[in-house]
Amino acid sequence: MTPLLDVRDLSIVLPREDRDLVALNNASFTLGRGEVLGLVGESGAGKSLTGAAIIDLLSPPLRRSAGRITLDGERIDGLTPAQMEKVRGRRIGFVFQDPLTSLNPVLTIGRHFTDTLLSHFDISFAEARRRAVHWIGRVGLSDPELRFDQYPHHLSGGMRQRIVIALALCCEPLMVIADEPTTALDVSVQAHVLKLLRDLHAETGVAVLLITHDLGVMAKMADRVAVLYAGRIVEIGPAARLLGAPHHPYTRGLLRATPSHKAAAGRLEPIPGSMPNLASIPSGCAFHPRCPRATEICRDRVPVLEGRHEGDAVACWHPVTEDRP
Amino acid sequence: MFRYASARIAQTVVVLLAIAFIGFLLVSNLGDPLASLLPPDATPQDRAALIATLHLDQPVAMRFLTFLKGLLVGDFGISYRSHEPVAALIWERLPATVELAFASLAITLLVGVPLGVYCGIRPRSALAKAVMFVSIAGVTLPTFVVGILLIAVFSVKLGLLPSFGRGQTVDLGFWKTGLLTASGWRALVLPAITLSLFQVTFVIRMIRTQLMEVGHSEFIRFARARGVEARRIWFVHALKNTLLPVITVLALQFGNIIAFSVVTENVFAWPGLGSLFLQSIQTADMPVISVYLIIIGAIFMMLNLLVELSYPLIDQRVLRERA
Ligand SMILES: Nc1ncnc2c1ncn2[C@@H]1O[C@H](COP(=O)(O)OP(=O)(O)OP(=O)(O)O)[C@@H](O)[C@H]1O
Ligand SMILES: [Mg+2]
Repeated sequence: MTPLLDVRDLSIVLPREDRDLVALNNASFTLGRGEVLGLVGESGAGKSLTGAAIIDLLSPPLRRSAGRITLDGERIDGLTPAQMEKVRGRRIGFVFQDPLTSLNPVLTIGRHFTDTLLSHFDISFAEARRRAVHWIGRVGLSDPELRFDQYPHHLSGGMRQRIVIALALCCEPLMVIADEPTTALDVSVQAHVLKLLRDLHAETGVAVLLITHDLGVMAKMADRVAVLYAGRIVEIGPAARLLGAPHHPYTRGLLRATPSHKAAAGRLEPIPGSMPNLASIPSGCAFHPRCPRATEICRDRVPVLEGRHEGDAVACWHPVTEDRP
Repeated sequence: MFRYASARIAQTVVVLLAIAFIGFLLVSNLGDPLASLLPPDATPQDRAALIATLHLDQPVAMRFLTFLKGLLVGDFGISYRSHEPVAALIWERLPATVELAFASLAITLLVGVPLGVYCGIRPRSALAKAVMFVSIAGVTLPTFVVGILLIAVFSVKLGLLPSFGRGQTVDLGFWKTGLLTASGWRALVLPAITLSLFQVTFVIRMIRTQLMEVGHSEFIRFARARGVEARRIWFVHALKNTLLPVITVLALQFGNIIAFSVVTENVFAWPGLGSLFLQSIQTADMPVISVYLIIIGAIFMMLNLLVELSYPLIDQRVLRERA
């Protein structure tokens, strides 16, 4: 069966006067129906850009330089702006990160919903209102009728993020891209919003591309995980395998730097150094300057992503395996 | 809302009092009313009588109160130059300035707002670039240069439009209008364009910047990510966010139009308050100068008050933040 979303060789560049900086390099991955694919990596890895590129919402001058994106059997790269408008929201929902800035301060909560619904469906305002109230209640807000007429500033951060999620789902898309949906929230609220996402996923069967740098969230939500480093997918695989027995030294490094993860074994070991800047991505394997296992070949040649099959692969010259820790 | 409104009104009253006080200080400290108003052959009795009418024998506080009371009932004192009541002088000149100001405001709104919205939505289009290029002229050229250029082209060279005066006016009893005669309209064209040119370009640039800024905000990106139609995004989601600053600026611009009309009126010999003000400065006619300044100050304050009272209708958050 064909996957719901098939991303092939997606590249994103940031044009500069002398040369194009590559922000995403030949990324390929798939998302099955009803599946949750996690996208992890440190800040600046290119996670948000990947999400934005799928719905053609890169902010200029960033642009997609290559790649095929197929949704439900249809190519959605290279659509006209008007056609893309019909895909966004209706077939691919997008949950933004920061609930404080994602809602328009001068519009009521209800207006956010009705404008979205009326853009996609040929329905009456009364019907749009009915659906809006339904979704406001569905994401767990009390008094949905009252909320409909309130402004964003009447709601708390957690409530606003619930509204953002409801907005992404209200047109019943096939999949949602959730870019750090809980990062901007208080720790106490994060768990509730995460549970809401999980419940909605279970109830509606919507597929999720979950972008986060929090491996704890990943472990709870994702079926499969792709690890991004400096614009390349360095490892991809089933969540249980990848988080339990990471092959890439970077993935292992991330796990060891995560509190409460068993690979950290009581003490946290941050990865030395930091993610390179787009303008100075190292040669060969971009991770080699920070990698304890690096040798000469890592400096010279870019490792290709390979493994048992396309859905379980690593790009490393010296992968971590059971017999060679 | 009630608390918000009363706080705004109280503030306005305080500032108005301060303006009136400054106006009072001007009249009471600069110029010599006795020398200006008394004929050279005045007797000491005349002198004493004038001192009594002008309340010059009273303490400063009392005189300020009298001055304030005068302002409220429309008794603005006597002009040193023409020896006429200042109120009559102002009332005679007011219609010319008000009509010129409204004509300029109309041009500003009808030309500035649509062009500003267009340039904000399509900043990279050829028309937007052309508008921005031309608007540099509007921002940088001083008003009197614009006026003189327009006169040179349309009055002197082409002979299409008059270069001075208001044309024929019709006296409605309480108001002398130039809007009821063809010559009045023709006379209005050049001064109104001159006066509005700066405002038009200012408004275009302001709306454009605002719209472009809002266009980059997360909530517009989110609206696009939800597939909200472009039409709705610009005319509902983005424009409503720009209304608050745009209305503020437009109202203050209207104040500026009235204040800046001094130069335009002078260039076109427009018989309005601005010309009156200039004549009064040349002759150190302090009562007229001070009342003119108080009126301009009061107009600014009233516009500002109206704007602030309209804020909550656009964006409810001001009630929380500012009350
Ligand atoms: N508008 C832009 N202009 C120029 N460079 C950009 C722009 N947006 C992102 N970048 C660069 O692209 C790279 C990837 O950015 P991206 O936002 O995808 O990172 P991320 O993985 O989402 O990180 P984070 O966890 O901080 O959100 C970064 O190096 C960033 O500096
Ligand atoms: Mg990001």
